[in-house]
Amino acid sequence: MSPLPVLFKKELLDVVRDRRTVLLTLVLPVLLYPGILTLMGAIISAGKDRLKNEPLVVAVTSGDAQAFLDGQPTPGRTSWLRVERPAAEQLLREQKVAAIVAAPEGSTRAVAEDRQATVTVLYTKRFDRSMEALERLRPVLEAVNARALTLRLEARQLDPSFATPVKLEASDLDFQKDLGPLIASRLLPVVLLMMLFIGALYPAVDLTAGEKERGTLETLLVAPVRPVQVMAAKYLTVALVSIASTLANLAAMAGTFGAGLSLAGEASTSMRFTWGQVGVMLACLLPAALLVSGVALAVASMARTFKEGQALMTPVLLVGLAPALVAQMPGIELNTATALIPLLNVALLVKAAVLGTATLADVLLTQASVLLCAGAALKWAASAFDSEVFRFGGAINTFQRRRA
Amino acid sequence: MHDIVRDFGPVRAVDGVSFEVRPGEVVGLLGPNGAGKTTTLRVLAGLLTPASGRAALNGVDVHRDPLAARRHLGFLTSSTGLYERLTGREVLITFGRLQGLTGAALLGRVEEVARELELAPFLEKRCGAMSSGQKQRISIGRAVVHDPLAYVLDEPTATLDPLASRDILALVQRARARGKAVLFSTHRMEEAEHLCTRLLFVRAGRIVARGSPEELRRESGQPTLTGAFLHFAGGQG
Repeated sequence: MSPLPVLFKKELLDVVRDRRTVLLTLVLPVLLYPGILTLMGAIISAGKDRLKNEPLVVAVTSGDAQAFLDGQPTPGRTSWLRVERPAAEQLLREQKVAAIVAAPEGSTRAVAEDRQATVTVLYTKRFDRSMEALERLRPVLEAVNARALTLRLEARQLDPSFATPVKLEASDLDFQKDLGPLIASRLLPVVLLMMLFIGALYPAVDLTAGEKERGTLETLLVAPVRPVQVMAAKYLTVALVSIASTLANLAAMAGTFGAGLSLAGEASTSMRFTWGQVGVMLACLLPAALLVSGVALAVASMARTFKEGQALMTPVLLVGLAPALVAQMPGIELNTATALIPLLNVALLVKAAVLGTATLADVLLTQASVLLCAGAALKWAASAFDSEVFRFGGAINTFQRRRA
Repeated sequence: MHDIVRDFGPVRAVDGVSFEVRPGEVVGLLGPNGAGKTTTLRVLAGLLTPASGRAALNGVDVHRDPLAARRHLGFLTSSTGLYERLTGREVLITFGRLQGLTGAALLGRVEEVARELELAPFLEKRCGAMSSGQKQRISIGRAVVHDPLAYVLDEPTATLDPLASRDILALVQRARARGKAVLFSTHRMEEAEHLCTRLLFVRAGRIVARGSPEELRRESGQPTLTGAFLHFAGGQG
């Protein structure tokens, strides 16, 4: 009888009874997404509301600038402060005014004489209040321009469309009102890959370096079992936890987006995943869990202690997350070339699944590439487990130092 | 073991070690830290591969057929080496199964070991919640659940208080009485004196002296076994 089922059951019991693993891989994601997104929505909404209601002072540096502004209704909770340009800039730096409106002397006359005047708004992106001031000034100055244009056209008895022979209307068919798919396509690849790694890394370290540290590995290896069987049981356990973690994350994400969240009352983030989208995501995430588990196990087997294992996992996590971040770059899309790059293909496929652009060929190519790499990772892990360095870690080096 | 050699890089950890432990015999492996005791025991358990030489358990070559050889082996280390999230019973059942026991034979053997080592009061407790003495007894149960012919004990009392050490010594005495071959390494001379029929003094990977406690005292010219240990460990032998 193969000892694999006995070893697997032992590993599984060991892992599921570890509160830290369960908390980190299963409980946390279920609470994390609704929590984070609700909090994020609340913070953004509160911030926007606060800015909209905040009294702002805008510096006006000339009589002409003041004349332009006076011709229009003053935006709510906004007041003008007449001050010279150098002093105004100093006030802006000190955040005593939120923006500056400047126009050269003679600007109003130039407009009246059918010439062009330039009104400059000075603001800084460093302060939210300054950005808000720009938002309040923009419609005022557009109204000034529109009013002047209307007067000119009326004087020449021309239709308002004369001034805009071609009117541009950009309309996003999919995301005009609902930001859900857009946000999900950005967020999901990063978060799912991150949780895939976390779901694999923690148990991998616990079952290898942790076991060495607790002194249980030696007792296991003196039983009549082959190292590769020990590795296989640990691999199955790590992969199972990683897959469970991924499913929990996916369910939590789907639930959160499905429920819909309000951002600043203007855009909603609702998105309901279809079974097809979930199927595509699972089709790439499950092989990815096998790949990540193999890598995590092979790397963790080199560590002697849990702490050392955690230190080794940090670069693994960083390298593993890089493809998810690359997938967010403009111009990086799923194609025959990118579908062959492990993990980048997974991130891009998740993104494509959310946006509804994934094809069967993309899925198959991604799966083939990831499974091939998972096989290589498994082979690496098997050879690591078969080495004496894995069994005794630094003990051999310690022996050499002691005897040298 | 016959003419075992094992190197770690440029360091020769075990250098031509040969000995035999017969059924009903308790052999003690003594030597200072770094002498090569643990390496010798690990080679015997098949955990380390020797550069040359042959190790066998009940006639089965440890490195040619490690799985068959390990069925004859009960191995106990100085650390209890227990899965803290498993109960005592789960540990015994897991290792019994790994040794090939199944069904009624497995359950019967677990009950037998539990009775013999008085494990019942804490058998259903998780190992992490046990006292060190309880852990040690579960650990012994784990090592002998398959009733092996050979016991290899690597400094089993090194981290234990006298009360917990007593369980180990009782195990060794019972094993000897039942005709098992016992090899154990220790630093405690009174244990070696009390239990061992033969002793092997190891220094720098070689056996520098062997014989009964009485023979070794005589050979070293020391009145006590501790004196003999210091004599051989110091290289004056």
